[in-house]
Parts: sequence; structure tokens; C-alpha cells
Amino acid sequence: MEDVRQDYVEASDAALVVAIGRYQQAALAEAYRRHAGAVFGLAKRLLSDTSRAEEIVQEVFVRLWNDPSRFDPERGTLRSFLLATTHGRSVDLIRSDAARRAREEREAREQADGGYDLAREVWDMALAGHVRDALEALAPGEREAIELAYFGGRTYKEVADELGQPEGTVKSRIRSGLKHLRQELLEAGVSSGTA
Amino acid sequence: MDDMTDCNDIYELDELLGAYALDAVDPDEARRVEDYLAINPKAATEVADHREVATMLAFTGMEAPDDLWDRIASELDDGPEQPAPGPELQRIIHATPTVAVTPAVPAVEPKSTAVRSLDDARQRRRWSSSVAWLAGSAAAAIVAVMAITVVVTDRADAPTDPLAAAIETARADRDSVETTLVAENSDATADAVIDQDGHGYLEARALPTLTDDQTYQLWGVVSDAQVISLGILGPNPELETFTVEGEVSALAITIEDAPGVIADGNPDGAFVGTF
Repeated sequence: MEDVRQDYVEASDAALVVAIGRYQQAALAEAYRRHAGAVFGLAKRLLSDTSRAEEIVQEVFVRLWNDPSRFDPERGTLRSFLLATTHGRSVDLIRSDAARRAREEREAREQADGGYDLAREVWDMALAGHVRDALEALAPGEREAIELAYFGGRTYKEVADELGQPEGTVKSRIRSGLKHLRQELLEAGVSSGTA
Repeated sequence: MDDMTDCNDIYELDELLGAYALDAVDPDEARRVEDYLAINPKAATEVADHREVATMLAFTGMEAPDDLWDRIASELDDGPEQPAPGPELQRIIHATPTVAVTPAVPAVEPKSTAVRSLDDARQRRRWSSSVAWLAGSAAAAIVAVMAITVVVTDRADAPTDPLAAAIETARADRDSVETTLVAENSDATADAVIDQDGHGYLEARALPTLTDDQTYQLWGVVSDAQVISLGILGPNPELETFTVEGEVSALAITIEDAPGVIADGNPDGAFVGTF
């Protein structure tokens, strides 16, 4: 993969996607080099299953190859697009009954081993300190709702049920929490492009 | 969206944007939000912002398994075959007086003989307007055909742009080769330079802007006098770069139907330059 990728090492993500549209496999290889780790990490975190996470990674990049026009550079970064795709596909799997049962069993085991901490999950991020600070700045209800919805793969209605709170409250907390996170990160000079 | 006149609906949909961005809504709600986003750019921007935030939360610093790329690569479609351009373009290119310059690019065996038709690709892939815009003007287009790869990169709008500096460096290198592409029926020209490492630069700002349904296409004459497609430049090319592997004796730019290559090439009004 190293040899064929040389022409694209310095290309922007947008340039890579255009090249992928021209059937340049080396461009996809470079996109994989840049983002597959994040895609895999998110899928594995959501699915708690390495094998299925690999399948998601494979699916996400093959989809990018087959239909690169789905990426709109005016709507965000390539990484954001790939992770959104990853999240959506992973959630689809999570919400299947069989997957849910297996996942709940795994989560029960994991929580027995010490629980789950969202801040710990992002500790290794390049700018983890800023992200951690932003998370800690959220109201507990906002943070909890985002955690369960994003990393738990639950709908806001399921989150509301789990937390025993009104659906409207949870819905609003997710939205306000994301806005607060964004504001905190912007004030700290952090953007997804630097992550 | 029929029920969008109700302010309560709008409020409810706005409140759903965060949950929607995290895939935390029911399918019916997702469809309602998507209809809403289609008519409300501000809401669409908010969702994009939420997803960018989620992107940062999602980063775990993990690496994908080593062998996973091989599995992905085995699934990729190579794309359709690209027919060679017709003889008329070859005639025009070869009829242009040749400047006696020794090509500095060493002959290299082609990596692949696979030639792809972007015309076919056009039928197979419907580009969003934004990506097509990228391909045509602002960001980048990368096309590789046979032994030659053309990498169209971001425009160099500022003199301090690294690309502009690279061009100046290439022009100053005595081992580089340069040509000016001219056409019989136009005063506009385009300048190309290829350095000794095979990095090519095309300054095409002077070419007239085409309509959206047209595009400039770059061609090259390689060994054995074969004319091959080098890539799509878009309707308004500016500063483009390309990497050449193998000997190139001439370049040509033609006007084609957007978004890309046609089988025969359109020699009418071709800009041609020889090395």
C-alpha cells in the first residue's frame, strides 16, 4: 500500500474523495490510513466486538468507494462523515434484537468490571485535555444523555425511559449539551480538523 | 413538507436536531427531520456542527487491524475500461510543430495498463453538486490513466502558496521541461512545466471559463506516440498539478462534455503544446 499511496499523502481529504470518484484505489488507501483507526475505534466501542467492528470498517470504506458523492465537503470533514456513517451502521446493528441481547450481556459484564466513563474514553485523544474539560463543563444531565445516546446507541426515548425522565427533557439536553460542547471546544481552540 | 407551517412542529423538529445527529431518533422521526433539513439550511448546518462535535468525542486513538485494508481492497471495483481517444486528436497533436527539448522525465514502465473511462463513470456515479464543484474548480481532482497520474490539487490563490512556490522552483530548474499550450482559434494559452522527478504543473487560468455542462480535459502523448487521457480539469481550471511516470512528448487540452472523458476526444479548439 505504501508505494501506490505516495501521490496522495499531501492531498486534502476533499481531493482524496474526488480521486476516489475517479477509481483511484491509492486515494482510498490514503483515506483509510488517515481515518480507519478512528472508524474502527468508534465501531468497536459501540459494538464491543472486534470482528463486527472490522466488518463495519470494511463496509464504511467500500461504501465510500462505491458512492463517494455521499460525502459533501460543505457539510463537514471526511472524518466526521465516516464516523457518522460508522455510528449509523453500528446503531443499526445494536438495535437489532439479537445484537441488543448480546450487547446488554457484554455491557453488564463490563460495568461489573468498573463501569463506563466517557471522559476516560477520550483520554487518548490528541487534544484530550480540552475535550475532557468540555465534557466536565456540561451539566450532568446533558453529559449522561449524550453518553447514552451516542455511545449507547439508544434513541432519546430509550434514554428517557432508562433515566426516568421526560422525553422532551432528554431531547433538549442532548441538543443543548452538544451546543455547549461545541462552544467549549471552540473557545479552547479545538476543532475536528485538529483532532 | 406539508405540516411545516405549524410553529410547534418547527420547534419540535429543532429540538430533535441533536438527537438526530447522534442517530438517536426513531426512523419516522428521522424522515421528518430529513425533510426539514432539506428546506432549512440553518438546521442542516446545526446537524453538521453536532456531528463534528461527535467526531471529537469518538476519537479513541486506536488503529485498525493491519490486514483489514487487504480485505477492503479485494472488494473494490476497478471501474470500467476507458477507450483510447480517436485518431483526430492524435493527428492534431502530431501536426503541431515540435520544439526540440529533451524530456527530462525518465522512461518508466507503466504500473498498470488499466485505463478507465470517466464517461462511463459519469453514468455510474451521480456526483453531488458540491463534489462536482470540487472536481471542477476549487479543491481537487485526481485522475490516473496508464502510466501517468494527474493530481489536480487546491488552487494557489496566494503567492505564498506552496504550490506556487513549487512551480517557481520547477521553472528555475534547468532539468525541467516547459511548454505553452496554444490553440488555432483562441488567444488564450496554458503553460505546463514538468520537473526532473516527473512532477508536472499546469497554469490554466487564462483558459476561458466553460459552461457547467462542459469541462476541459488534459491529454498526453506518451511513448509509441500513443495519446492518453490525463484527467479532467473542470470548466474553470486554474493551477493544476500532475505527476508523470514515463516519457511525454506533448500535452493537449480539449473541451468535452462534463463531467469527463469521452471515448473519442474532441479535438475542436484543442490547446496543444509539445516538449
